[in-house]
Amino acid sequence: MRRKSLPFFALLLSLSFISGCGGPVKQNDTVVIWHWMNDRDDAFRELTKRYEEETGNKVSFELYAPSVYSQKITAAAQARILPDVFGILNTKSVVASFIKSGFIANLNKDFAKDNSAWEKSLYAEAIASTRFEEGNVYDVEPGIYGVPIDITNLKILYNKKLLEKAGVNKAPETFDEFIEAAKALNRVGISGLVSGWGEVWMVDCFASNYAFNIMGEEKVLATFRGEVPYTDPDWIEVFRVFETLRVNNALTSGVVTKSNKDAEQDFALERAAFAFNGSWCVNVYNDMNAELEYGSMLPPPVSDKFPMKIWGGAGSSFMVNNTSPNKDKAVTFLRWLTARKQQIYLAQKIKNLPSNHFATASIPEILSEFASAMAHATHPTIWPLNEESMVTEKFDRGIQSIIIGEKTPQQVAQEVQEIKIRVMEKKKKKRK
Amino acid sequence: MNSCRVMKEAQSVLIHIFLLIVALTCLFPLFWMLRSALMSRATIFTDKSLIPSELIFSNFHTAWTEGNFGVYFLNSVIYTTSVVAGIVIVSSLAAFAFSRLQFPGKNFFFYMFVAAMMIPLPGSFVPLTVLMNQLRLGNTRIGYILCMINVGLSLSILLLKTFFDKMPSDLEDVARIDGCTKLGIWRHVALPLASPAIAVVVIFNSLNVWNEYILAQLLLNDKSLMPLQRGLMEFQGAHSVDYHLLMAGLTIAAAPIIIIYLFMQKHIIKGLSSGAVVC
Repeated sequence: MRRKSLPFFALLLSLSFISGCGGPVKQNDTVVIWHWMNDRDDAFRELTKRYEEETGNKVSFELYAPSVYSQKITAAAQARILPDVFGILNTKSVVASFIKSGFIANLNKDFAKDNSAWEKSLYAEAIASTRFEEGNVYDVEPGIYGVPIDITNLKILYNKKLLEKAGVNKAPETFDEFIEAAKALNRVGISGLVSGWGEVWMVDCFASNYAFNIMGEEKVLATFRGEVPYTDPDWIEVFRVFETLRVNNALTSGVVTKSNKDAEQDFALERAAFAFNGSWCVNVYNDMNAELEYGSMLPPPVSDKFPMKIWGGAGSSFMVNNTSPNKDKAVTFLRWLTARKQQIYLAQKIKNLPSNHFATASIPEILSEFASAMAHATHPTIWPLNEESMVTEKFDRGIQSIIIGEKTPQQVAQEVQEIKIRVMEKKKKKRK
Repeated sequence: MNSCRVMKEAQSVLIHIFLLIVALTCLFPLFWMLRSALMSRATIFTDKSLIPSELIFSNFHTAWTEGNFGVYFLNSVIYTTSVVAGIVIVSSLAAFAFSRLQFPGKNFFFYMFVAAMMIPLPGSFVPLTVLMNQLRLGNTRIGYILCMINVGLSLSILLLKTFFDKMPSDLEDVARIDGCTKLGIWRHVALPLASPAIAVVVIFNSLNVWNEYILAQLLLNDKSLMPLQRGLMEFQGAHSVDYHLLMAGLTIAAAPIIIIYLFMQKHIIKGLSSGAVVC
């Protein structure tokens, strides 16, 4: 038996080697797109069929696990084997480094064709995430370097049935009304707001919404530049929003330890009446509880001095390989993919927000509600400058401490300011 | 006398309770996976009972067809068999050489192999992609198999060398008197004696290759070349997951490796207890 096993293993090894030698041959006229969007793979494949029927041109979507996608793109860039179209799941600075290495095509001319019809059909907030303005900090040639295929924003969702049960007849429009609604919910044993505030970026997002509402964009940016301290009364007011939520039991217990996935379950299974979540939640809630009756609203403003802003912009964008022989074909396909008809199909099939604003009239009501809020959207990627990561970390952790009652708004403001001063001094020393 | 017996029995009961708890903590996730695999999308979030009121066996069929498991399963079988066979052949030859032969730089090369264990797999992603593409082995089965053999070699050589070091030199002398060449001694003396250690190498590497998907995603582009883990991706959306189908898929994916373990259990225990594993 043992004598026979070795040749058997050798045979198997040889067979597998032989089977591997006949690798698939890439059709050069096919536009190859690498993506990470598991839930859209079937819809993309259906669209490629339709595209081939309409134009005779072939497009192939290749799906990779989101956890590996960034590494695959980086490795492919270094091996010079990037596909015709790809996405970059990373910060704007990484996108900039790809552009500077010559991997991403500048689409300015394509967007400008036909009196900029293509550009005008897409949400400006979505294009902004891959647009590099004149004099940008990354030193990239100005232009648009990506095509947004959907958009996203973060709002507050409310459960209509639970609010009704608590005697709240309409969605709260101000922060005071929101607190009153939470009190009414508490009286009938229903939890108030749930969110994935175990993930600090969501805390940051909620806090910056209120910062924009309380002091306006200019003052927020002035703080980032170090011209306004975090101990300013307006910033204390921002921190106090979270204290007020805690004191009035408006948050579900354990909210600062929850991942967004857990928070989504809580809202979908009607364990909480409000949720702070992104537009992707429509698909998630539908999967978890198709019967859920809910609506969406902007975070209720504390002040009427400045408009409420929410985080929003491009959900996913595709970039065109600058060295690809199929560059023009790739751009033509992306233009087709972001046209109204295809965007409606995608929105209805996978319940995302279309990047084409002409498509929003024909999508489910809840998605329309999210889409209508794009006028309020802003995002750190389009701000002229961002806060230092150490300060942001302290800021977000400080808010978590306020929510669990460990620190007061004043204490957190003081601590954040101390870090800010330290970071600014370090930067000054470096410059010298 | 009696109190001594009572003490011993109490000790035995405590040990058994402890072992029972350890066994339960190991088995519970598997049970939970199987339980969730038999539920519907609607009940998976709401039904908290240990055994669901309604058992949906069709989930396995749905997972198999929707996840396109037929192709992926075959690929995984090819990859696991080839890689494990390759590792056993190469690592046993290398370990035998490091243990029984004298050649210049022997220790240097051995420590180089051992040091390779310290390099985490993600650290080699970029060089492997560049290398495989320069060798025109990118997006081919053979490229992936060669990379996976390379991944498993270090630990396997270390395990087998430790085993060969303990092999009495008299056996080698007898084989040489009987006319065996060096390769003959490896084939007829060392390999049969090392079967418990080889069983450990087989199970460790089978588990590693069967569950691997990161390198496959990196090196392979064609869906028809992907291993079984790729099928599981069908049930995980960017924001939502079909947990019941994912669990059914995981059960299908875990079953072969559990069967291999059960078949080789005796050898593994023997291998572990006879010093094949030194770490």
